[in-house]
Amino acid sequence: GCGHISVSAPIVRLGDPITASCIITQKCSHLDPESQILWRLGADLQPGGRQQHLSDGTQESTITLPHLNHTRAFLSCCLNWSNTVQILDQVELQAGYPPAVPRNLSCLMNLTTNSLNCQWEPGPETHLPTNITLKSFKSRANCQTQEDSIRDCVPKDGQSHCSIPRRHLLLYQNMVIWVQAENALGTSMSLQLCLSPMDVVKLEPPMLRTLDPNPEAPPPEPGCLHLCWEPWKPGLFINQKCELRHKPQRGDASWALVGPLPSEAFQYELCGILPATTYTLQIRCIRWPLPGLWSNWSPNLELRTTER
Amino acid sequence: PLGPASSLPQSFLLKCLEQVRKVQGDGTELQEKLVSECATYKMCHPEEMVLFRRSLGIPQVSLSSCPNQALQLTGCLRQLHSGLFLYQGLLQTLEGISPELAPTVDMLRLDIADFATTIWQQMEELGTVPALQPTRGAMPALPSAFQRRVGGLLVASHLQSFLELVHRVLRHLAQP
Repeated sequence: GCGHISVSAPIVRLGDPITASCIITQKCSHLDPESQILWRLGADLQPGGRQQHLSDGTQESTITLPHLNHTRAFLSCCLNWSNTVQILDQVELQAGYPPAVPRNLSCLMNLTTNSLNCQWEPGPETHLPTNITLKSFKSRANCQTQEDSIRDCVPKDGQSHCSIPRRHLLLYQNMVIWVQAENALGTSMSLQLCLSPMDVVKLEPPMLRTLDPNPEAPPPEPGCLHLCWEPWKPGLFINQKCELRHKPQRGDASWALVGPLPSEAFQYELCGILPATTYTLQIRCIRWPLPGLWSNWSPNLELRTTER
Repeated sequence: PLGPASSLPQSFLLKCLEQVRKVQGDGTELQEKLVSECATYKMCHPEEMVLFRRSLGIPQVSLSSCPNQALQLTGCLRQLHSGLFLYQGLLQTLEGISPELAPTVDMLRLDIADFATTIWQQMEELGTVPALQPTRGAMPALPSAFQRRVGGLLVASHLQSFLELVHRVLRHLAQP
């Protein structure tokens, strides 16, 4: 072509200056040597081009755009020729921000999908193509040593969560895990987590049930309820402790907490409550004595105590 | 008096107990799936597989260093590890067993590998890691689908017996 643009940097921070120069190549020396080189950003002519003849007879125009406020724009080098504006060359300019430090990284081990699911807050929009990667490596007790790296987990576009599949995990060994964000303007990394996948297992709560009526067993006392629960199957191999909460269905009494209940009992007789009253009950469990996270509370179970 | 297992951290023993239960769960799931298939292949009678079992030659895993009375901790940990290491290899021979069973076999192998790593790292902590990396003897070859099915049944049942032994050993080691 007749012209060639070169820019200080095709990608700058939003609002930063950008300098470009355009040289009319020797191929076009037949053009009027005094013709004026024009600059256009998008559709708008840009004043301030400084034009000069170079020693080799070519012409060069240089322009500095003080503040590039477009996240994406096309800068054209043009020539006034026979009363028309001729485009000689064009470059794409981009402006945005370096990635902010990803924050609030947290991970949960899902025993149903057998994957470690991590999520984080990405920070403000960068307006630039930005690669986000969940990085991790295997480690030992206090995460001071680095062992095998684990394959990067790349979230789908725009998502701020990623799942590391079971085959890349050692469930009972510590690993270091963090988020890295990278674009043309810089790289940032979240704080590193040191965790063992099994210590961040998210248990599902058991299902509360009424104890099946047993003709041989005496009916519950007026101020008592017999209840049992069905454990969450994927967590059967995990020793847990559970706690129960209950409140009368009517009125605005707050929850009363009962626990810990040994999880493998799977049943409990709740006493010391009001007779002839319908109660709402919930249960939740946590891995214990090994470290773990409380499950959510179970769905409600409504039970009525017998008359006195 | 403190027993020989007192040098083992409680968290290590609790993890191992959880891991052995997890592997047992995986093993039970594999057995259930294999047994449910046996009707299809008319292979539901173990007594019909005695010759095949002998030809397969699944090595017996010794836990001779682990008995309650005369526990030799270093030897016991090594035997636990080599048993798990052996079953990792045996399960490898079931590669391509069937698309339905493959995920279960893979999960079982991953959980056994995790368990073996837990024990190996504890041996490293205690400075009792054997000089040589563990090696497996020749693994049985199971080239045909029939052999992988029967091999699967036999490996799964041998594994469960081994795990039951391991579970007993660990429960004893974990007693205060």
